[in-house]
Amino acid sequence: MIHIIYISRAVRPLSDQDLQSLLAQCRRDNERHNVTGVLFYSHGNIAQLIEGEQEILDPLFERIAQDGRHSNVNKLISKPINARSFPDWSMAFHPLENSGFETLQGFLLPAHIMPPPSSLTIADAMLLDLVKLAVFGAEPVATEPTQQ
Amino acid sequence: MREQQLQDILRHMPAGVATLQGPELRYGFVNEAMQSVLGSPITEGQSVMEQPGIIPADLLEVMQQVYQRGQPYVAKAYCLPITTAPDTPATQRYYDVALEPVREGGGPVSGLLLFAMDVTGQEEARQRTHELAIETRRLDTRLRVLTETVPQITFTVDAEGTYEYVSPQWYYFTGQPPMTDLNAIWPLLIHPDDRLRVLYQTEAARSAGVGWSYEYRLRRHDGQYRWMLSRALPELHAPDKPVFWHGALTEIHDQRELSEALRRGEAELRFLADSIPELIWTATAEGFIDYYNKYSGEYSGLTGEELGPAGWISLLAPTEQAGAARRWIHSIATGESYEGLYRMRRHDGRYRWHIIRARQLTDARGLRWFGACTDVDDQHRLRQVLQTQYDELARTNRDLDTFVYTASHDLKQPLLNLRGLFDELRRSASFDDPQEAEIITMVDDALHQLELTLQDLAATVQDQRGLSAPAEPLDLRSVTEEVLLGLRTQVQESGAVLELDFEQAPTLTYGRANLRSILHNLLSNALKFAHPERVPHVLLRSIPADSGNPLLIVQDNGRGMVLPEEPALVFQPFTRQHPQIGGAGVGMYLVQRIISSRGGHLEVASVVDEGTTFTIHWFDALTA
Repeated sequence: MIHIIYISRAVRPLSDQDLQSLLAQCRRDNERHNVTGVLFYSHGNIAQLIEGEQEILDPLFERIAQDGRHSNVNKLISKPINARSFPDWSMAFHPLENSGFETLQGFLLPAHIMPPPSSLTIADAMLLDLVKLAVFGAEPVATEPTQQ
Repeated sequence: MREQQLQDILRHMPAGVATLQGPELRYGFVNEAMQSVLGSPITEGQSVMEQPGIIPADLLEVMQQVYQRGQPYVAKAYCLPITTAPDTPATQRYYDVALEPVREGGGPVSGLLLFAMDVTGQEEARQRTHELAIETRRLDTRLRVLTETVPQITFTVDAEGTYEYVSPQWYYFTGQPPMTDLNAIWPLLIHPDDRLRVLYQTEAARSAGVGWSYEYRLRRHDGQYRWMLSRALPELHAPDKPVFWHGALTEIHDQRELSEALRRGEAELRFLADSIPELIWTATAEGFIDYYNKYSGEYSGLTGEELGPAGWISLLAPTEQAGAARRWIHSIATGESYEGLYRMRRHDGRYRWHIIRARQLTDARGLRWFGACTDVDDQHRLRQVLQTQYDELARTNRDLDTFVYTASHDLKQPLLNLRGLFDELRRSASFDDPQEAEIITMVDDALHQLELTLQDLAATVQDQRGLSAPAEPLDLRSVTEEVLLGLRTQVQESGAVLELDFEQAPTLTYGRANLRSILHNLLSNALKFAHPERVPHVLLRSIPADSGNPLLIVQDNGRGMVLPEEPALVFQPFTRQHPQIGGAGVGMYLVQRIISSRGGHLEVASVVDEGTTFTIHWFDALTA
């Protein structure tokens, strides 16, 4: 089993409608091939982690890289893993309209993304955190404990 | 019969036919087509002059002249406004109008034959062609102006490879006279080193029927060879049948020199980075490492590919990875420089201490991070040895202090007993010998001397520990923040969350050094004994107790500890709760000593794996 992490830029900003159909499409396709992972989207920035069998993921990534909806696809990592870290497939983004998305299966608000699970190596968890930072930008949280 | 046939033919002819008789030009025969041209119903015998209908005045005049002079006349594409329905506006129709004088039996002119042939279609086509020709001329002019004003040289090559056109810029650039034989001279102006390649590439592109794009040096009028970019595309008249190639030559000499210089500069920098026996790397704005120097590979035994954009983390000692990763993410998020001291695994599996530093650079090419890992293993080990020795000395010193303090304290009581006994002896016994009285005075003096010495000793040790420093009103928050500043590294490494709540009792009257010492011990313990599986969370809360005296609660979520039955005995000197974690084991003993010496006491509650809560009762009695 391997996992692949990539980042890319949407060719044009995705609407709520686009995102919803992308969510539906990914859930359907990935369930069929037993692919799991997580997708981040914000302001045209896309990042995705996918995990599954190499025979499935390599051609899947080829197809993803060819998809005309995004460009500048940058594969950051592709390496063997012992176990899945994301038992389900989910997607995190800020919807323009807040209504309705919360109830969709597999949808997350960026603030609700769980920290990387401990099944990932620290290097991979850091990579995922960097990817999240690249997509959503820095959260306005004071990390210095003495500043309150 | 033939007359009848002729009449039928004339009547149904698609062209308008009419006869006009006599000098008054009265309508004779008018066929259907002519009727529809003239529009209004025609009465035979009526004069055209009296009822001209749509016939304009100039045509009427021409009719009269033709009649008088007996010469036929044809008006080509003559415009007549035709009304098809009563209420619609007239439309322009064009007719070839022929006027033929009629002579009966060779006599004088007795009438006119009028033909009207509708040529509107042809006329409109002709006008369109005319407009198109004007438009074409306009586009042609525009194209010429554009091709002759752009800085590029434009050209056209035909299927045989012959230059058919080149814009005037070519002549300005090369300095060749306008009569030059382009096809003969052009190849000679190409730099000898590029000539064969250019000719071959052009030929290859032409025979393949595709465009081309290549760079070569062309001789300028001053004899200097300048780099040019030649690009051309085929013009296809049928699929796969190019007839012409149109293209442009752009001078790219300066850009090429610049990029050459950049390439050289980059190659030199890379060579420099590769020659330094340090791990050097660069990262994108997002924090993904995109370059490791050669030494990085030699040190780690891994290729840049194997290390990947975040692989350096896995080179660090496992216990240091999480803290290092947290700091790197923090640096990427805030742009703060990165610095840390970590153990890094060498290719042979040995860990060596490294200082990892990274700074970001923003220039025209965007934001990038530049980092270096400096091997400080030898220095670090030396420092560690020194630190151990220093700690040992400090501990011995403290032990000595404690011993002296305890000894002076413990000797006080026997001394008091001795003095009491001696006073009692003096009172009850009598001494006759005057020398004995002298001895008594000497013993008295000696006892007094001993008492003073013991007092001085105790005072000296107390002073050194700051135990006797005068109390002053202190702002708890500012003292705490001072202490945290000293612990900044530990706080950042662990990612600890500290919650300070001093609202209810913000000030405390205490010795400054004592308060700092207490806070330092408690906070550094909370960080040191943090639970390995969660982020440390430390709460400091200052509140007034029921008695009115202030309390300080320090609560953590760390490892916790097993408390002995008798709480007062928790902190003996050199007792250590967590032998696996470094420390001398006197910290809490001192804290307890300071608090009790200032008239308070320390309470502790703890659950293993959940955390510990210390409650400091600053003063047990009500303060005056």
